[in-house]
Amino acid sequence: MTMRRFLQGNIACAEGAIAAGCRFFAGYPITPSTEVAEHMAERLPKMGGTFIQMEDEIASIAAVIGASWTGKRAMTATSGPGLSLMMENIGYAAMTETPCVIVDIQRGGPSTGQPTMASQGDMLQARFGSHGDYSIIALSPSGVQEMYEMTVHAFNMADRYRIPVFLMADEIVGHMREPMEVPDSVLIIQRRLLEEEGRKPFEPREDLVPDFPLFGHGHFVHVTGLTHDERGYPSTSNPEVHERLVKRLVQKVEGARREIAMFDVVNPDAEVVFVSYGAPSRSVQQVLHDFPGEGFGHLRLKTPWPFPEWAPGRFENAKTFIFPELNMGQMARELERHVDQPVISVPKLGGALHSPEELAKVAMEER
Amino acid sequence: MVKDVPCMRLVIDENRCKGCNLCVLVCPYKIFREGKKPNRKGIVVPELDRPERCPNCRLRQLYGRTICGLCQLICPDQAIDWIGEEPYEHMKVAIEY
Amino acid sequence: MNFLEWYRVDRLPSIFCAGCGIGTVINCTLSAVTSMGWRRNDVVFLSGIGCSSRAPGYIRTDSLHTTHGRALAFATGVKLAEPRLNVILFTGDGDLAAIGGNHFIHACRRNIDLTVVCVNNYIYGMTGGQGSPTTPVGARSSTTPYGSTETPFDLSELAMAAGANYVSRWTPYHTKELTAAVKAGLETPGLSFIEVMTQCPTGYGRANRLRDVKEFMEIFRMRSMLKQKADRLLKEGKPVPPDAIVIGEFVRRSRPVMGRRG
Repeated sequence: MTMRRFLQGNIACAEGAIAAGCRFFAGYPITPSTEVAEHMAERLPKMGGTFIQMEDEIASIAAVIGASWTGKRAMTATSGPGLSLMMENIGYAAMTETPCVIVDIQRGGPSTGQPTMASQGDMLQARFGSHGDYSIIALSPSGVQEMYEMTVHAFNMADRYRIPVFLMADEIVGHMREPMEVPDSVLIIQRRLLEEEGRKPFEPREDLVPDFPLFGHGHFVHVTGLTHDERGYPSTSNPEVHERLVKRLVQKVEGARREIAMFDVVNPDAEVVFVSYGAPSRSVQQVLHDFPGEGFGHLRLKTPWPFPEWAPGRFENAKTFIFPELNMGQMARELERHVDQPVISVPKLGGALHSPEELAKVAMEER
Repeated sequence: MVKDVPCMRLVIDENRCKGCNLCVLVCPYKIFREGKKPNRKGIVVPELDRPERCPNCRLRQLYGRTICGLCQLICPDQAIDWIGEEPYEHMKVAIEY
Repeated sequence: MNFLEWYRVDRLPSIFCAGCGIGTVINCTLSAVTSMGWRRNDVVFLSGIGCSSRAPGYIRTDSLHTTHGRALAFATGVKLAEPRLNVILFTGDGDLAAIGGNHFIHACRRNIDLTVVCVNNYIYGMTGGQGSPTTPVGARSSTTPYGSTETPFDLSELAMAAGANYVSRWTPYHTKELTAAVKAGLETPGLSFIEVMTQCPTGYGRANRLRDVKEFMEIFRMRSMLKQKADRLLKEGKPVPPDAIVIGEFVRRSRPVMGRRG
């Protein structure tokens, strides 16, 4: 059973979070993400949850991480400048394996840039923004329905792999209003809690993810951003401990790419293939709709990170990949690493979406 | 806690002590004095001077709580504790680490 | 129960230098926690980065050793998400007043139910003795080689002005008073701030002819002046000596509190 509603993308994101069981939100007002915080401020107290407006984005992600250690599903929402401020603590969440969800409604940058205009300029920052090696999951919704569904999925992935998960939306998707189907209930994958007697708090299972030791339940876990051993104790000068830990932090996500990655393949026989994620996918879909006889293909990445490097191979006849993005080609670089065919990056800055006509023109030239 | 032992013995954990001598400074009974010889780790651990005078050694079991305890509270290295043991032999200087 | 039983004994001896006061501050804090009759399951320790922030790593409860200056923000999340937990922070002058200054005043403003134990040793110890926001004017450090020229923060006054419900200041020389102050802080709903002026023989002492911890202690003993006496002097129009360390309870009040259980 579902209920049809007409919602704004940011509101759908907040509703998805609540459906997923998120009961803690800490945030700081920033355009164009503020509606998420406003809606959570209205909804969470009625659900027995906690909303708090912190003094800045650094504190917001910090409070989210703190809340997560008590077992609450916790998230924050921000935009580029706020994401930049959060980066140190996002690295902390990766290092301490703290599940949390970060919603980034991207706007034009660098710096204050275009607060009310869309961009996809944070794609590399989300993946590599904090110092050191680690891995995360990023989901990229291209409509209001996906804002809801991917927020739920983000919480499940965060708890499953004990990592920060990014919902990389943008101003267009965040402020778009569309009809959507709100399900009665959603699938929830619970965090695997530490219950086994004598098991060390950071001892990984076969999937490289350790069981989660909840605060206040007698595990007496020491959580530190320092390099730590399986007991959680700092061990900063032993090269082997550091290498083992960091490799595991990366490998637990990268090694599970085939389980994590989600993408849509349209017209796998196509020679000219569009690759997209987020809002530009809508323009590409329009091109495929307007030119059904041209045989264009479309690879839509729902999870830009971890990048599914086998996905382009699904287009066996592909001669060219066309990659429209609302940035200077951030993900196109990643695609280039994995394919032999030429990758034509179609950057678009300024806040407007690629028009289907301009994408069609590029594709016609390549045909 | 050892109930049937009437007395406690003051001990300095030589593995934890870093030789700062704060215990020497604060003990109202002057039970600690600065050591002379460095130990295996190169740390000069304080010596005990007639530790049977320590009121906590004699009275902790009787009162059921720590008496004085200044040295233990100030010791930054958690090196001072009392263990339940037979009473000190009268007037014999015991140096116990 | 003896406070030593709260230590992770398998991690001792600690990394602190000989004569460092942080161990004493942990002792007094744990002694206060013990006297509250709390179980380990009810207590969480948090800290940021710095010497004092290593303290939770030596305590056998759940603990969160977070990023530089941000412990109060992490603690806000822990406390609001699980008000059952008694949340105690260890922090230092650089951690709390420099990089974490904004979180500090806002935590005091919210008056969130936490206890903050600040080890104020006038210096950045972990990085090797750089000047901090509490380095006294004229004091030397590796980044103030000709003596500090900046006016230092009075952290207790700052906490009071920002709205904390309980504020007191002691030194590691005053172990019993410090223990009682931490206990009062644990008992007071709202943000409790206990500032401990602490010796750092290695970082601060080496640069300021206080290498010997006994000389440092002598300063705490001789220059400490009870708040009541300082207030009386001011009332009588007499000056408080500029090098006096005013100690004692600064405020205990019941402003509205955030994050109190029930």
